[in-house]
Amino acid sequence: MNRLTTLKEAGEKAFVAYIMAGDGGLKRLSEQVQYLQEAGVTAIEIGIPFSDPVADGPTIEAAGNRALKEGVTLEKVLLEMQQWTFEVKVPLIVMTYLNPVIRFGAERFAEECRKSGISGVIIPDLPFEHRELVQPHINKHDIPLIQLVTLTTMEDRLDEILKSAQGFVYAVTVTGITGTRDELSGEVKNFMKRIRAKSPVPVYAGFGISKTRHIDMLKDEVDGFIVGSAIVQAFHDNKIKEVEPLIQAVTLPHPV
Amino acid sequence: MTKVKICGLKESEHVKAAEQADAIGFVFAPSKRQVTVEQASELAKHVPVDTEKIGVFVNATIEEIEKTVMQVPLTMVQLHGDEPDELVEAIRVPVIQAFSIRSKEDVRKLENSKADYVLVDAPGTDYRGGSGRVFDWSLLQNATIDKKRLIVAGGLHAENVRAAIGQTEPYMVDVSSGVETEGRKDSEKIHKFIQQAKGGSMQETIEKKGFFGKYGGQFVPETLMKAVKELEQAYEDAKGDPEFQKEYHHYLKEYVGREQPLTYAQRLTEAWGGPKVYLKREDLNHTGAHKINNAIGQALLAMRMGKRKIVAETGAGQHGVATATICALFDLECVIFMGEEDVKRQELNVFRMKLLGARVESVTKGSATLKDAVNEALRYWVTNVEDTHYLIGSALGPHPFPTMVRDFQSVIGEETKRQILEHEGRLPDTVLACVGGGSNAIGMFYPFVKDESVKLIGVEAAGQGVDTEKHAATLTKGSEGVLHGAFMKLLQDDSGQVLEAHSLSAGLDYPGIGPEHAYLADIGRVQYKPITDEEALAAVVTFSRLEGIIPALESAHAIAEAEKAAKDMTSEEILVICVSGRGDKDMATYADKLEGLA
Repeated sequence: MNRLTTLKEAGEKAFVAYIMAGDGGLKRLSEQVQYLQEAGVTAIEIGIPFSDPVADGPTIEAAGNRALKEGVTLEKVLLEMQQWTFEVKVPLIVMTYLNPVIRFGAERFAEECRKSGISGVIIPDLPFEHRELVQPHINKHDIPLIQLVTLTTMEDRLDEILKSAQGFVYAVTVTGITGTRDELSGEVKNFMKRIRAKSPVPVYAGFGISKTRHIDMLKDEVDGFIVGSAIVQAFHDNKIKEVEPLIQAVTLPHPV
Repeated sequence: MTKVKICGLKESEHVKAAEQADAIGFVFAPSKRQVTVEQASELAKHVPVDTEKIGVFVNATIEEIEKTVMQVPLTMVQLHGDEPDELVEAIRVPVIQAFSIRSKEDVRKLENSKADYVLVDAPGTDYRGGSGRVFDWSLLQNATIDKKRLIVAGGLHAENVRAAIGQTEPYMVDVSSGVETEGRKDSEKIHKFIQQAKGGSMQETIEKKGFFGKYGGQFVPETLMKAVKELEQAYEDAKGDPEFQKEYHHYLKEYVGREQPLTYAQRLTEAWGGPKVYLKREDLNHTGAHKINNAIGQALLAMRMGKRKIVAETGAGQHGVATATICALFDLECVIFMGEEDVKRQELNVFRMKLLGARVESVTKGSATLKDAVNEALRYWVTNVEDTHYLIGSALGPHPFPTMVRDFQSVIGEETKRQILEHEGRLPDTVLACVGGGSNAIGMFYPFVKDESVKLIGVEAAGQGVDTEKHAATLTKGSEGVLHGAFMKLLQDDSGQVLEAHSLSAGLDYPGIGPEHAYLADIGRVQYKPITDEEALAAVVTFSRLEGIIPALESAHAIAEAEKAAKDMTSEEILVICVSGRGDKDMATYADKLEGLA
């Protein structure tokens, strides 16, 4: 995660790409990771498919279902990553629902994450209150548990979450589930400002980010962006090149 | 926020009192607080799943430690002896190493520890593992120890813990003798200590709540945390408000038609040749099942919170109909999510909901049954959380839902208890109810849980049999996991994917079970038995013909198991069955499956 801090200090913006592991078969994962790191992303979130993804919209849910049909599991994804021989140049973050982790065992999960070179873990249905279930295990291997904050997070709760934030803060830009949207609400900008003023770690905006105008709107208020559904859909449609302008809008100082 | 560990627990009462703590400690080393592995394993059943269970050892072998970790099971290990670094590093779970601090010299030892966390304590006296004396906190002031690794112990109690936290800003505080009275743990002192350590202001927003033993909790996306916390607060207020209770009971009486009779089933009693059989008649409620008890309670609560939009899921359609009914009565906007499969097999209820003015959304995702309807209802709630209440239909979901639904359904058990005392002058010997998510069962059982002479039996749907892949017998065949906001028992595969449940009865077709049921099963207070589709259908026929009551397919599961239970009972004994609903909604299924019935 140090890389993310360095970036913040250099004043550069991060682009975190989300992909669904095993969408199109698990073998595609290494291709996708290599493609994205060449395309200049800052970090990659590896999504683990789950039967009941209540925080996700139709795009990621459908991708997860395709991956499940391929027989993809949390364990298989982590083991697959341990086989990679190419150079992984960007931090990899696992994003999974809680149940596969519980089933796998938090301690084993942490151990396999370490072996796979994972730099962070995001669990959308593990709120701050219950973080003990996983955090001490992954922290044992110096892997941070990344917390989400949302427009509905109450002020004193926000303070507590930010105070003990690890890695980066995942700031959710919508009151809702993942998925592309045309517009973001006006209050998002102030929300990001508020979080960034208090956060000891970088603040990345995610959920619904799919257009360069979303990035233009929030670029001054955040340290980076997380893009999921748009990338997942582009890989599925074999149109990943079309996402490159979005990546450049974030990472290049002067967008081309 | 500094975490709290309560150490040296030996009694389940005190484990329960420590529910709000972040960690509890079991002492395996010789001490007046020592417990055996078996005792610790039993006590662990009362510990919320997200609470660290820490085993305290003094110079134990790695084999002993690993074995204890597995058997209890423990999530962390705390070492109080002279354990070498190799042992510290060999332990697979996070390790806390304890140091007695007398001087700056001791601080340096601690700085070199290989453990994940270091615990500082006053020097021990007659045995290792802390003496309860206060040490000089200022010794730590210049230590180069990462505060995130620091645990402070030794002489802490409710009055000084804030000061200790202020001075050392540790990861965790650890208390044992400071929450005891005359050498024994004291529940009140435990509460007070946790409250002080957490600081009054944080109480309502960060506190973890709603566990039944290890099950329950609030496992929801962050966007919903505000809503569940608000609901928690609103329900607590309403529960204690006599006006709210009065209004709720007013509607139960004047609109639902309570109280419902506890009917003596004379012909069934004769046919089974065993105990006297009584029937709790939830089938007589307006809309035809127990679901309306809960729908009224939650709708009143939603209005009290200023929310006039309701979203709900439904399986068989009974909860959907109950919700649509109440929304019509109170003029609330109503959206019901229902799996496409259920929309097909419960056509009549779909039309009832529409007639009542509700919008019915058919869910085509996943298995297109109840589980997927809950997923969609949750997504809808996440998106519309500011003005919408999620009126969940069973004793499931994040806290406070399981508690709240239980409370609203407890009218079933409360009436039954009063009525059986009127009829028989004593409590029943056995009480049965069917269990899907478990709302009629928990409502029936809850008022009897403390009456140990009353045997409680929950009946699950075994579908085509528990040894096939087509069943919904969560407690018989399930394992621990998180679904729809709670840690509970689930039907899942080896990789943690939730499986489809199967039951002819749409209302029992759910792959999880309410967290309180999972707890009652763990501690052995309620027995859970599986009944197949075929057995339930046979019970439908028997019951219809002997008592003139056509039961819902769900309720027929309880009736079928009652017949089995009756075989081991005498005519001196009393058995009560909760008839959770009537069979009208199942008529198409009955006509199909019982074709050729003579």
